[in-house]
Amino acid sequence: MFRNFNVWFLSSLLISIFVSIPILTVFTSFFEDTSNYYQILKDTFLFEYISNSFVLLFCVLIFTFLIGTGSAYLVSFFEFPLSNFFKWALILSFAVPPYIYAYSLTAFFENYGTAFTILKNLFGDGNYNNNIPKFDGMFGAILSISFSLYAYVYILARASFLYQSQNLIDLGKNLGFSKFKSFYKIILPAARPAIVAGLSLVAMETLAEFGAVDFFSINTLTTGIYNSWITFDDLAFANRISSFLLLFIFSLFIIENLSRKKAKYHFNTRGGLKQKEKIKLYGSRSFLAFTFCFSIFFLSFLFPLSQMLYWTIKFPENLFDMQITNLLLNTLYLVLLSSLVLIFFSLISNYGNRVSKNKTLNTLSTLSISGYAIPGVILAIAFITFIAWFDDSIVKYLGFTSIKKIFIGSILGLVLVYFIRFYSLAFNGIKSGYEKINISVDESAYLLGYSKRKTFMNIHIPFLRNSLLFIIILVSLEIIRELPITLILRPFNFETFATTAYISASEDLLEAAAVPSLFLILIASLFIIISSKYILRENNE
Amino acid sequence: MSNNFFEVKNVDFKVGGKTKVANVSFAIENEGDVICLLGPSGIGKTTILRTIAGLEKIKKGSIELKGSILSSEKKNLEPEDRNISLAFQENSLFPHYTVEKNILLGAERNKGKKDHQVSLQEIIELLDISLILNKYPHEISAGEAQRASLARSLVTQPDLLLLDEPLSNVDQSFKEEIQEKLKKILKSSKITTIIVTHDSYEAFYLGSKCGIILNQELKQFDDPYNVYHLPNSIEVVNFLNRGTLIPAEVTSPKSLENKDLGTITGNFIKPFPIGSKVKLLVQPEDLHHDDKSNLKFEVVDRKFRGTNFIYTLKTPSNTLIPVFVHSHHIHQHEIDEKFGIKRPIHIDHIVCF
Repeated sequence: MFRNFNVWFLSSLLISIFVSIPILTVFTSFFEDTSNYYQILKDTFLFEYISNSFVLLFCVLIFTFLIGTGSAYLVSFFEFPLSNFFKWALILSFAVPPYIYAYSLTAFFENYGTAFTILKNLFGDGNYNNNIPKFDGMFGAILSISFSLYAYVYILARASFLYQSQNLIDLGKNLGFSKFKSFYKIILPAARPAIVAGLSLVAMETLAEFGAVDFFSINTLTTGIYNSWITFDDLAFANRISSFLLLFIFSLFIIENLSRKKAKYHFNTRGGLKQKEKIKLYGSRSFLAFTFCFSIFFLSFLFPLSQMLYWTIKFPENLFDMQITNLLLNTLYLVLLSSLVLIFFSLISNYGNRVSKNKTLNTLSTLSISGYAIPGVILAIAFITFIAWFDDSIVKYLGFTSIKKIFIGSILGLVLVYFIRFYSLAFNGIKSGYEKINISVDESAYLLGYSKRKTFMNIHIPFLRNSLLFIIILVSLEIIRELPITLILRPFNFETFATTAYISASEDLLEAAAVPSLFLILIASLFIIISSKYILRENNE
Repeated sequence: MSNNFFEVKNVDFKVGGKTKVANVSFAIENEGDVICLLGPSGIGKTTILRTIAGLEKIKKGSIELKGSILSSEKKNLEPEDRNISLAFQENSLFPHYTVEKNILLGAERNKGKKDHQVSLQEIIELLDISLILNKYPHEISAGEAQRASLARSLVTQPDLLLLDEPLSNVDQSFKEEIQEKLKKILKSSKITTIIVTHDSYEAFYLGSKCGIILNQELKQFDDPYNVYHLPNSIEVVNFLNRGTLIPAEVTSPKSLENKDLGTITGNFIKPFPIGSKVKLLVQPEDLHHDDKSNLKFEVVDRKFRGTNFIYTLKTPSNTLIPVFVHSHHIHQHEIDEKFGIKRPIHIDHIVCF
């Protein structure tokens, strides 16, 4: 195992072990004693938690599949009004986290909400409340999560569609298939791995979702974990539910992998395969394609944005009451610090893996990047559990002062858990950059007299520059939207746009939640626009 | 320490703990010599080069250059500390630099070491890469990348240059020209070189000595003529695919007898006792065509090779024998026709096993 032991190997090993801590903590806490809450819950709500999580997951997956794949198919294969605009505009939904979507949905459709005001202004006074549909509860949660997350499926499906060559489509024509038959017999199966990868991300995010389901008072496993900790102060039980949730998430991966068997889906477009030309749509078909894409763009982005903007304008006092500059600085501070820490350690870890070529280290890295699959709530609670255990069993035993305050309710703790949560994004981003550098490039550098450090600094860093920039933007986007970890681990009186919006909404002050939500959407949109070129291209690779 | 410029002594070449080629010994006597290692794909030729470059370690034997040990069980000089250059078979150009910058990085290593025997410009011209200097690696073809990589290795003026299938991606039409140029550069720059290839003609042309690697062993290490005409084992014969082994009996110190061909005279490379049953190597050049001869066999195949034909003849005992005929020969023989062999049969070097 230690044949290639060196400083890079050691650093990489330590990082992987650190990132694996929550997952190990969750599973080792499984058999600990729990409070009476377990018995109470088992007799009352546990089944509801599980069934709600399943219903939510199932419906969100179907909905995101339909709108994500449908819109990707239209913009990839057809030309219609604004099709080039939709290509990137459809990813703007990433800027709206599910909980902000949930606030907009409620604000618009609630009694005497925005819909009511619009009807009143158009048709005069009336009892419109009974006729306005209510999108709350489970249905509201499904809509909020789906419109916020479908872009995962859209981006990956589109990348896969773009990779499909004209030859493949010609083959369908040659076999006498109609357009629809070509779509479901050839195009869709060929894009299956990409679509499933997108749906896996949606599944993980849905199971991890806290803000929207909490807002709609849907009891899921995630809210159950949060409640068992906050309300009953029962960390052991929180970890026990987490184990179930994690096992479920890992089973999803295994089922997906088994279902693929040895089938190959990738088509190499290199070597002279023709690039396909988009089909120009006319008349009603063009109108339908436009309407479909515009509706998704409107519902997923313009609707929540305009709702938040409307309330910010309607209640301008909130703009001045809130210390926007402070919120902005806090958010940017977290984003910058966490991105730099993530990039720094992910680079070291990747390079360590590359130079040590150690199988054990590779396996450990694979385990450690599973952090992204673990809901933020679980990570935060596992982190607290671990620090409490470490403090009680080791620090106090050695006679040192408690370290809890250093890690819990501090920026350091927050950044560390962000690190674990988003490590896979940074690690995989850099890894995919590294995969484009043949190992013989490193070896050529050594043979030209470069040391390992010089190869890293002079060859790898300049080559990875664009990937690093893209990862920083991606991580920033995630941290800006992140809610549960920040909520649980933030220092006292330290707020971000996300926590301020959540707190206002949970106090039933939706109009006050509009200002931080609007800022969050705008900053996130800015990041998406800057990186759209990379997001739409990078996923091809 | 030996007086050889470079020497490999009893080395087991391994990759990932698995032995690829065992107990290898060979030497390059003089600075500037070029040798070739020949063998089928996947046999471990690249592993040998990587180990010599220091990218793989050894646990047995030693590798020495200019009297100093580079690798042994106890010592392993890091790749960056050996002045050895390896041109990889695959594209190993730095992807974020242009071809020119890549080559200049190679030149940087050579700064202040010794005079350039061949200038950078000459190398660029000889390898015909002047038009791609400003391009990035992803913008050029595999063959161009291979030549650029070769140029980068050459400008480092290393003590030892290792070339891994240097022309495998070069178009066939261009290959001979590049081979000639490469030979010229290596000769004028006096760079000691080990070339790995699976193309026997390339090896015979470029190397002053050739090593044949088969079945995890270095089977033969000799000059190209001897490897070609005097293979030392049946494995080498089969690998070079040069002829047929036919049964024969030694009848005197200068002759043997085959049931189909009759008496064959010549000089034995290795003596065999009279009466020994042996396998005689018959190469296409050993037999001569003669329409008037009464020793006739049936033609079962005919291969046109540009300058010559290789006829495959079937003897009454069902042995297939190749015969070389110049392509300007007055007439051609069709399949199933009878084909005459000149008698008496005399082979200069009789190779038997």
